[in-house]
Amino acid sequence: MSAKDFISLENVGREELLEVMELARDQEEGRLGRLLEGRTVCLAFFEPSTRTAASFELAARRAGADVVSLSSGTSSISKGESLVDTVVTLDRLGMDALIIRHPAAGAASLASRHTSAAVVNAGDGCGQHPTQALLDLYALGKSLGGFEELAGRRAAIVGDILHSRVARSVIPAFGTAGIEVSLVAPATLLPREADVWGLPVLGSVDEALEWGAEVLYMLRLQKERMSGALVPSVAEYARYYGVGRRHLRPGVRVMHPGPVNRGVEIASDVVLDSSSLIPDQVSAGIAVRTAVLALATGSVERAAA
Amino acid sequence: MSTRSGADRELVIRGAHVLDPSSGLDGVMDVRISGGRVAEVGEDLHGVRELDASGLHLFPGFVDVHAHWRTPGREEEEDLESGSAAAAAGGFTGVVMMPNTDPVLDRPALVSGLVRRAERESRVRAYVAAALHAGLAGSELTEMRLLKEAGALCVSDDGPGTQNADVLRSGMLYARSAGLAVLLHCEDRSLAKGVVHDGVAAALAGVPATPASAEDAATAAALVLAAETGARVHITHVSTALSAALVGFFKGRAGVTADTTPHHLTLTDDLVRTLEGLYRVNPPLRPEGDRRGVIEALRDGTLDFVATDHAPHAAQRKELPLQEAAPGFLGHETAFAALYTELVLGESLPLSRLVEAMSCAPGRWVGGLGSLAVGAPADIALADLEEEWTVERESLSSRSHNSPYLGRRMRGRIVGTIVGGELVHDRMGAKLGVRT
Repeated sequence: MSAKDFISLENVGREELLEVMELARDQEEGRLGRLLEGRTVCLAFFEPSTRTAASFELAARRAGADVVSLSSGTSSISKGESLVDTVVTLDRLGMDALIIRHPAAGAASLASRHTSAAVVNAGDGCGQHPTQALLDLYALGKSLGGFEELAGRRAAIVGDILHSRVARSVIPAFGTAGIEVSLVAPATLLPREADVWGLPVLGSVDEALEWGAEVLYMLRLQKERMSGALVPSVAEYARYYGVGRRHLRPGVRVMHPGPVNRGVEIASDVVLDSSSLIPDQVSAGIAVRTAVLALATGSVERAAA
Repeated sequence: MSTRSGADRELVIRGAHVLDPSSGLDGVMDVRISGGRVAEVGEDLHGVRELDASGLHLFPGFVDVHAHWRTPGREEEEDLESGSAAAAAGGFTGVVMMPNTDPVLDRPALVSGLVRRAERESRVRAYVAAALHAGLAGSELTEMRLLKEAGALCVSDDGPGTQNADVLRSGMLYARSAGLAVLLHCEDRSLAKGVVHDGVAAALAGVPATPASAEDAATAAALVLAAETGARVHITHVSTALSAALVGFFKGRAGVTADTTPHHLTLTDDLVRTLEGLYRVNPPLRPEGDRRGVIEALRDGTLDFVATDHAPHAAQRKELPLQEAAPGFLGHETAFAALYTELVLGESLPLSRLVEAMSCAPGRWVGGLGSLAVGAPADIALADLEEEWTVERESLSSRSHNSPYLGRRMRGRIVGTIVGGELVHDRMGAKLGVRT
């Protein structure tokens, strides 16, 4: 991350993660107040989003920021205006932070080259989704008793890693936090060069538990990939890459960035089980995104850049 | 290329290091040009008009069998004037224009029209590759005999490539009977769904990726069909080690030649980690292992020559996220310097092999070019091998600026280009000033 942008979690250090976690905790405990007062934050969403958009908007508003929202259905984006032209226009309107979601990897990075505003990547294609990984760390840390408790734990990331921007942010973030990570997916849903991460690749959730996974981080399987050339059937996928009640051993936590395909990635009766951190992940979103916006806009000093 | 006054006059280029592997020339000597052709190569030649080229290297003009000058249809990105200016600035004296224009060059009238325009507007010799199939759609054969009469040098479905093996086979058979070479862009589109090479960079970046097998499988199929049909087949922009090896296997079994590009010889897919649209190209940049394989195949002659795939794009088609950007790089103006810097200086490729690969071999493929033999067209590239320079937008002659080498420091630069005895590019002014 550069001094102002939150675009990728590759090469982000432990100090920076810790800083976000501490600020998020301060926010949750009401110690930050309206620290974005006088700031203008723009949400530019070039693809649909419910929870991420709502979470960012609430984070910005509760911290006192003015919020402008653009979405692909209601702005010049739908008239074919290019990303760069849109960003340049917004820049001239004087934004402090630009929160961008786009269907193409690299869009946030491209936007950052055309604006003086801080750019926060809210998900770009199959590239990165850094605030998701940060809120995951926060929710997991909280359930384990703090950020320092993450080191030495084992987490399996399960599912469509090939097409997942969440995975591309969670893998480096968990690693930096000291969590041992394994990947669980059929070869059709893994990058050809998945070895680049240097992580064990396992064949099923059962194998992940044998390996010692305490965290099962489930990825959403897109509907168009549920059967056909990538996955033979929902039933087979759910059998090997889905979490059922039989997997819920003591100490095992289930996570998912949402929305969940019930009965595919996670059995229906597990989604809201006490082992599931999914609700905690959602509620962590506001605190973490407030922290990110505060750091990005310079509303608080960033310790490490 | 237009006929210009002065082309018939005599000119003596003095004191350059002449290097022409096709004629066995390698040393400081003088070249006499008369009537637009090489008249004499030797020592202590003098004439009424002399050009002092001491300190420079003199090569047969480079020949590029793969270029997109965007005429007709997308002249805001390149046209015959700017494309040929870019070619001349890179030392290219002969260029083959690909047919994926708008409209596609699939009819004799379009081909003859472009040939005539090129004679008027191009600074260098410009040849036309016509479409192999109507609309490049890979179904109906074009009128290849009529296209040849209209001036087409060869046929190609460059751009989409020919996707159906049976259709490609027929195309090869018919092209053989029409006496035309087939230039092939080998890519299996059922595998090529991504925008970058399926490798480490793609895994980390999260961009849709295409496996190397998309090129390798199509190359293998094309080579098998070439061997069977006996067609004169040229495989362009080979970018993987396996495809290069396949070409090597079929050499001698089929009438096959092949080229690779300066960017596949000098750049790797590490660049796509930046996710900048500028670095999207087809075939995609490959990992170092493939680059090494391609370099060695060029070194040993398995790959016959270099072609640039010069593909200009307007800024709005490249200043996009990688997966939305148009594929393609500029090539003419940086080819020699990039290859001299990276391969000759960096990889100990003999300079004579580079000249063979940029001039002699593609010149033979086009026919009658790429040689300084007495009587050959006086097409010449003059290079200053000592000059260091940085590739900058402002210095490019092309109408577009999508060079992957922007900002790169290079060694060796083309300072003058002569076509048919006439100076068509003179960057040095004083240094190349013709003394009468």
